[in-house]
Amino acid sequence: MSKIMEWVDERLPVTELLKSQATEYPTPKNLNYWWNFGSLALLVLIIMIATGLFLAMHYKADANQSFDVVEHIMRDVNFGWLLRYAHANGASFFFLVVYVHILRGMYYGSYRKPREILWWFGIIIFFMMMGTAFMGYVLPWGQMSYWGAAVITNLMSAIPVIGEELVIWIWGGFSVGDPTLNRFFALHFLLPLVIFGVVILHLWALHAVHSNNPDGIDVHDEKDTLPFHPYYTVKDLYGYGVFMIVFCVFVFYAPNFFLEPDNYIPANPMQTPAHIVPEWYFLPFYAILRSIDFLGSFSKLAGVLAMVGAIMILFILPFLDRSPVRSFRYRPLSRQLFWIFVVDCVVLGWVGYNPADAAIFNGALPLIVVGRTCTAIYFGYFFVLWAITAFDIEKHQPVPKSI
Amino acid sequence: MNCKEVVGFRSVVKRAGRVVRSAAAIMVATATLATVLVSGDVQASSGVAIPPKQPWSFLGVFGQFDQAALKRGAQVAAQSCMACHSIKYIKFDQLRQLGFSELEVKALAEGAGRTKKDAMISSMDPVAAKESFGVVPPDLSLITKARKGYEDYVYGILTGYATESDMALANRVMADGQVTAEEAKEVASALLLDAHHPDKMAESLKRLIGGENFNRYFPGNFFAMPQPLMDGAVAYTDGTENSKVQLSRDVVTFLAWAAEPTQMERKALGIKVILYLVVLTIMLYAVKRRLWAKVH
Amino acid sequence: MVTESDESRRDFLTLATGAVGAAGVAGAAWPFVKSWSPSADVLSQATTEVDVSGLAPGQMITVPWQGKPVFVLRRTPAQIEAARKADGETLPDPAKDADRTKKPEYLVVLALCTHLGCVPQPIGTGNFGGFLCPCHGSHYDTSGRIRQGPAPKNLPVPHYEFKDEKTLVIGKV
Repeated sequence: MSKIMEWVDERLPVTELLKSQATEYPTPKNLNYWWNFGSLALLVLIIMIATGLFLAMHYKADANQSFDVVEHIMRDVNFGWLLRYAHANGASFFFLVVYVHILRGMYYGSYRKPREILWWFGIIIFFMMMGTAFMGYVLPWGQMSYWGAAVITNLMSAIPVIGEELVIWIWGGFSVGDPTLNRFFALHFLLPLVIFGVVILHLWALHAVHSNNPDGIDVHDEKDTLPFHPYYTVKDLYGYGVFMIVFCVFVFYAPNFFLEPDNYIPANPMQTPAHIVPEWYFLPFYAILRSIDFLGSFSKLAGVLAMVGAIMILFILPFLDRSPVRSFRYRPLSRQLFWIFVVDCVVLGWVGYNPADAAIFNGALPLIVVGRTCTAIYFGYFFVLWAITAFDIEKHQPVPKSI
Repeated sequence: MNCKEVVGFRSVVKRAGRVVRSAAAIMVATATLATVLVSGDVQASSGVAIPPKQPWSFLGVFGQFDQAALKRGAQVAAQSCMACHSIKYIKFDQLRQLGFSELEVKALAEGAGRTKKDAMISSMDPVAAKESFGVVPPDLSLITKARKGYEDYVYGILTGYATESDMALANRVMADGQVTAEEAKEVASALLLDAHHPDKMAESLKRLIGGENFNRYFPGNFFAMPQPLMDGAVAYTDGTENSKVQLSRDVVTFLAWAAEPTQMERKALGIKVILYLVVLTIMLYAVKRRLWAKVH
Repeated sequence: MVTESDESRRDFLTLATGAVGAAGVAGAAWPFVKSWSPSADVLSQATTEVDVSGLAPGQMITVPWQGKPVFVLRRTPAQIEAARKADGETLPDPAKDADRTKKPEYLVVLALCTHLGCVPQPIGTGNFGGFLCPCHGSHYDTSGRIRQGPAPKNLPVPHYEFKDEKTLVIGKV
């Protein structure tokens, strides 16, 4: 065995790579459980690719057959129900895990120098995930699939001059239809593999600069680190166990919790469901889109720009935050801002879930006002974070010298 | 217990305490937020009566189908619902899984003008259906998954039509052509209509008296389907009383099965998988804890 | 990735956890593997029911069974006689006619030439009064046995049963 490895290592230094990048890879010893979510995201990605590949072996992308074929998978294919429910719920859990992963990065300043490129790869992954999830949701060809596709593709029509043409080009017809379904299936199959590639870049960028840690300080001493294996392999595996329990409770006992009843009605281009909503993970962005309604004919484009901007602003976050301290653990003002931001995202999601013309407190407060306020707070977070750090308004607490 | 173990135990308790505290803080915050948001009574979604929850035996982790009810429900579906509706994802042959004999299945299929290898497709022509009802009756294969409220909603629809006493009330209230505030309250509690809008209520009562299909639980109250199940509509052979309520309960049980025939397989596997995962996770935690105990 | 220096960790708990975990990964692979097996709708096509009451002696029908053609021939006394007689001859793939039929009157064979899988032509086309495979000239007799040509084996007899006088069920239920 060792002779074979020697032979291989002379030609391809596998052992050395594993040693330096996996087993003996020095990792800060004070990482908390929030650091589990990166490896959890990888687990979910693998679950999604595996179940997706096997679903694709039974699925047919065809406006006349797709709805039936999903039911065929649910009813006739051996363990088809398991593959499909794991895949459908996996999407929700993927976003759940990735949102925690992103928020962890925001709280502990993991986007700060020298981890900007690492952070950017992460946002690119997130952006591609959204595209993949959107196109995957179209494939069962239920009412929500169809009308979700119709509404989201129509966003493109907001682009000046070429918008209308662009939408028809994306549809491959004059409405969402068979050509749309086919191309979405092809892309839904391809994109996760591209995501996997960017994940490798994300890990490369991580290993070039090493992990941040809850204190947000640079690691100077070898005593502050542990070899990745066995310490973090075991800790990550323990996280996998906990995650799989929660995941399986949903897959086996509440598989339709995240799904809309309307999507069990076959797509009908002649009738829109009374209340269409995107999947929960898009709701905050959907609310931002809808909150811009006060700019007349410019509202549509502005809404789309605001929605895209809500993600794009993450790209410049590393340059907005000017604090000498990375981790919010030692930044009381930023910490409060952060929690306001988190609550704001939840409220945005709730606004996005409700009908656009709804109101609360016996009609005294239209939800659109709540949505606008929350959109302002969303973008306000980035501005205020910049302001309090650029002008030294925040007085940070003492930061430890070492872990 | 030696000193080291005590220290280890204490640190675990301390750490667990911290985890529990932060988890609790997050949960309290979320719950508070949710309460504030939900109690705000979102206006646009009110005005629709929500069907009450029924104690279905097949729900929950250990829930099982009542086999006798399933069989009766299949009979109701084949002999009553299928006059107009199809259940296209179920083949007559599959009913043998519910305990029907081959001959019984054959009889049910032939009664619906099909053979036992056929899917449960209604003999009603969709074009003719559209002409007489204005809509094509929806396929029922997924009906309990495709409506908000799931099986409770379908049961609510089947039992939510206006009764004779409702009709009498409507006639009495509308005798003078209008709804007083006093009457509005009475109508609201009987027919689950919104008491805040007497005008709309009067309009609904007029349509009800005019013979349109009123249903408490249908959003908008009026729709194309006349009351499908009456007392005694289907003759049971097992001695069960064939009241409207019983027929409805049985057919909804059957439709819940038809919506996902693999659901019991799913639940049975789930218990094993989750038990396994719990054991594995505890073992992983033990390995992790012992390994990390050396790190300070 | 466990090296010699990590001997101390290789205790019971770690090994047991590793074993339990590995079993789980193997178990998780099972649904994926099993999803390739014939699905319920395919399995429901595993048997074909044939009404043979309308067959006149000497008449043959081709019925699909699991996506493959099956010849159902109601044999005439002469055809049965010919098949019985050949029992004594030297055959490329020896088999008795009585072993190849459940009722002498009915011959049920899978109609795929054992040479390269072509569908032979109907009864009476070949030498020996049986079936001729047009692709490479294999001749099967009135019992579906190979008599002449490149095919190595007799036409296979699928599993079948007579449910009643007039209903033939091909395939295992």
